[in-house]
Amino acid sequence: MMAMHEPVANRPAPARDPWRRRLVASLLYGRNVDRAAKTRGRIALAVFIFALGYAVIAARLVMFAAAPDGHGSRRAIAQDAVATARPDILDRNGEILATDVRTPSLFAEPHRIIDVDEASELLTAVMPDIDAAELRGRLASKRRFVWLKREITPEQRAQIHRLGIPGIGFLPENKRIYPNGAEVSHLLGHVNIDNQGTAGIEKWLDARGLADLHLAGLATDRLQTPVELAVDLRVQHALRDELIAARAKFKAVAAAAVLTDVRTGEIVSMVSEPDYDPNNPREALDPTRINRLTTGVYEMGSTFKALTLAMALDSGKITLKSAFDASHPLQYGKFAIHDFHAQNRVLTVPEIFTYSSNIGTARMALSLGIEHHKWFLRKMGQLERLRTELPESAEPLVPKRWAELNTVTIAFGHGLSVAPLQAVMAISALMNGGHLIPPTFLKRSESEARSLATQVIKPETSEKMRYLMRLNVEKGTATKADVKGYYVGGKTGTADKVVGGRYSKTKVLTSFTAVLPADQPRYLLLIMLDEPQATPDTHGFTTSGWNAVPVGGAVIARIAPLLGLEPRFELPPADKLILASAGSR
Amino acid sequence: MMRVLNICVIGALVLAAADVYTIKFESTRQAQRVAKLRLEIRRERDAVAALRAEWAKLDNPARIQALARRHLQLGPVEARQVDPLDNLPERPADLVAVEEADPIATVIANPGVLDRPAAGNLPAAAR
Repeated sequence: MMAMHEPVANRPAPARDPWRRRLVASLLYGRNVDRAAKTRGRIALAVFIFALGYAVIAARLVMFAAAPDGHGSRRAIAQDAVATARPDILDRNGEILATDVRTPSLFAEPHRIIDVDEASELLTAVMPDIDAAELRGRLASKRRFVWLKREITPEQRAQIHRLGIPGIGFLPENKRIYPNGAEVSHLLGHVNIDNQGTAGIEKWLDARGLADLHLAGLATDRLQTPVELAVDLRVQHALRDELIAARAKFKAVAAAAVLTDVRTGEIVSMVSEPDYDPNNPREALDPTRINRLTTGVYEMGSTFKALTLAMALDSGKITLKSAFDASHPLQYGKFAIHDFHAQNRVLTVPEIFTYSSNIGTARMALSLGIEHHKWFLRKMGQLERLRTELPESAEPLVPKRWAELNTVTIAFGHGLSVAPLQAVMAISALMNGGHLIPPTFLKRSESEARSLATQVIKPETSEKMRYLMRLNVEKGTATKADVKGYYVGGKTGTADKVVGGRYSKTKVLTSFTAVLPADQPRYLLLIMLDEPQATPDTHGFTTSGWNAVPVGGAVIARIAPLLGLEPRFELPPADKLILASAGSR
Repeated sequence: MMRVLNICVIGALVLAAADVYTIKFESTRQAQRVAKLRLEIRRERDAVAALRAEWAKLDNPARIQALARRHLQLGPVEARQVDPLDNLPERPADLVAVEEADPIATVIANPGVLDRPAAGNLPAAAR
C-alpha cells in the first residue's frame, strides 16, 4: 500500500519511478495516459452495471408479485395425466353406456422406504390378493417409482393411509366403467389399463384425435362433450335377451342381430352372441366371441335373392308379371341347381320370391348377364369392404374369376361372402326408396343421411320390393313373423355352411331380414343363427322359417313398442296397399 | 427543507409498502380459496360421475327385467294394448254444472242425475 501512495505524492516527478515499474505501467496502460480519469470512468461503469443488476432484480420481483402462481396447478395436472379421461358414451336416449370413475392407484417410491419387510407385510395384510414376493421385489427395487396396485377400492385406500408407511402414496386414476356389462359389448369395444381404446367405438374415439390430446396431457378433464351413439339401450337389451333365448333353444353356435333405421342408416341395435363384458376385456380375446356382423363374412343365402330381384325389376326388362321356368333343376356343367321348396312348374316373379326358388333367381340373373350382375352388386356396395366407425371390418370374399356359374350361385346367395352389416345396408336401400346410406353407429338426422345417400334403384322398384317382402310374410316362407299390427315384411335365408371345402348338408346359417312396417318402412331387422339344431317344435327342419323367422317375430313383438311404432290393424293385404299405390304413380 | 421532504418520502414509502403487502396477502388468500373451491368442484364432479355410473348400473334393463319378473305380474306391452288418442270416446257429460259451489250436496238433493249417463257415453272398453 505504501508503494501505491508514493507515486501519487511524487507525481510531479514520475520519472523517478523505478524503471521496472515504468516498464510495467507503459506495457499495461500505454504512455502518457491520465490514470485518474480512467479510474473515474471505471467507477462510473461499475456503478452503472450494479444499477442495472438491481433494476433487473426489482423488475423480476414486480413480475413475481404480479403474475399468478401457476406452478402448483401445473403440477396437479401432471399428476392426473396418469390415466387420462375419456368422454362419456351415451345411448340415443342419454343413458350412460360408458363413463369414467376416479379410483385411487397405489404406488411406492422405493428409495424412501425405510423397512421393506415391514412395509410389504403391512400391505399384504390389507390386500390379500396381491402377490407377496412380487410386492417385496418391487419395494426393494432401485427404481424411483413403481406401481404396486392399479385401481384399489376406497376402503383399501383408507386402510393403507392409516398404516402410515413412508414412501407409499396414491394417485387418482380414471377407470372406465361400463355399467351395462355385456349388453352393448361389441359396439362399444373396450379400453386397456391406461384408458386407451383398443376396440370398437372406444378405439374410434382415440383415432379421432383423443390419443393426441392424451399425449399432450390435455384430455384430463371430464368436461369433454359426451359422445351420443345411435344405439337404444332398451332395444339392445330386448334384442339380446331374445337372442340368448333363441341360441339356447336351437343350440346354435352363435346368434347375431342388427336393427337399423332405414331412413338414416343409424344402427339402433347390434348384438352378436356370444359376447363379452367390456369391464373384463380379456374375454374379448376368445375367437368365438367376435362380432359376427362386421368382422365375419358369410354367404347370406336366399337373403341375396332380394338383391337379384331388385336388379331384375330395376333393369326394366323384367316385371312382376314375368315368368321363369323352374320345372326342372338347372343343369350347369356337372352342377345341378335345385329348389328347396320345389314347385316343378313355371313361376312368376312374386312366386319365385315367396317360394324362394333358386332356379328362378338364377335364370333371372343369367338373363341380365354377368357384367350387369357385377355392376349392380358393386353399386350396392357388396364387393368392397364396408367401413364404419368400428375399426373391425372384413373384406367380402369375391370370386377371382367371375364366370356364369358364379352369377348363378351368387344370385341365390352362395359363392359371395359379405359382412352381414353390408347386406343390411343394401337391403335397407331396397326398402327406403332406393337410397344407399352408409350405416353409422352415431346419431344422424334424416337430412344428413340424405346428403350421404346415393340413389341406387328407382323408387318404383323399391315399392315393388316392399310388396314382395310383405307378400312373403303373408303367404311365403316367413309367415311365422307376421306380428299383427306392425305390417312386417321379410325374406328368409338358409345357407349351407362350407365345411372342409364342401357345402355341408346339416350345418346351415339361417337368417331373416324383416322390414317394418312394409308400407312405410322405418326399421330393418336382420336375425342370423349359426348352425341352429332341429328341435321337436321344428319337426326336424333347420331352415330359416323354423328358427330365425319365429325369433324375428318374437323380437319384433317385443321391440316395436319400444321403437314407438304405432300398431295399425285391419290393413289390406300387400297387393292392395303397396302395389296399388305403386301402380297409381 | 430537504429533511422534511425526505421524511415525507420515507413515510410515503412505508405506507405504500404496507398497502402493497396487504394487497398481496389478500390476493394470496383469494387464490388459495379459488384453488380450494376448484378442488371441491372436481371432487363433487367425480362423486357425481360415480353416482351416475352407479345409477346406470342399477338402471340396467337386464336387472330391472329380473326384478320385474320376480316381484311384478306385468309382461311386455303387446300391440293390441296400444290405441291412438283418436279412439278415445267423448268425455261423458258432467253430472252437475262445473260452477256449482257444492257438487255433492247438489247430487244428494237431486239423485235423478246419477241415472243419466247413457251407455253410449262409456268408453268402449267398459262396455
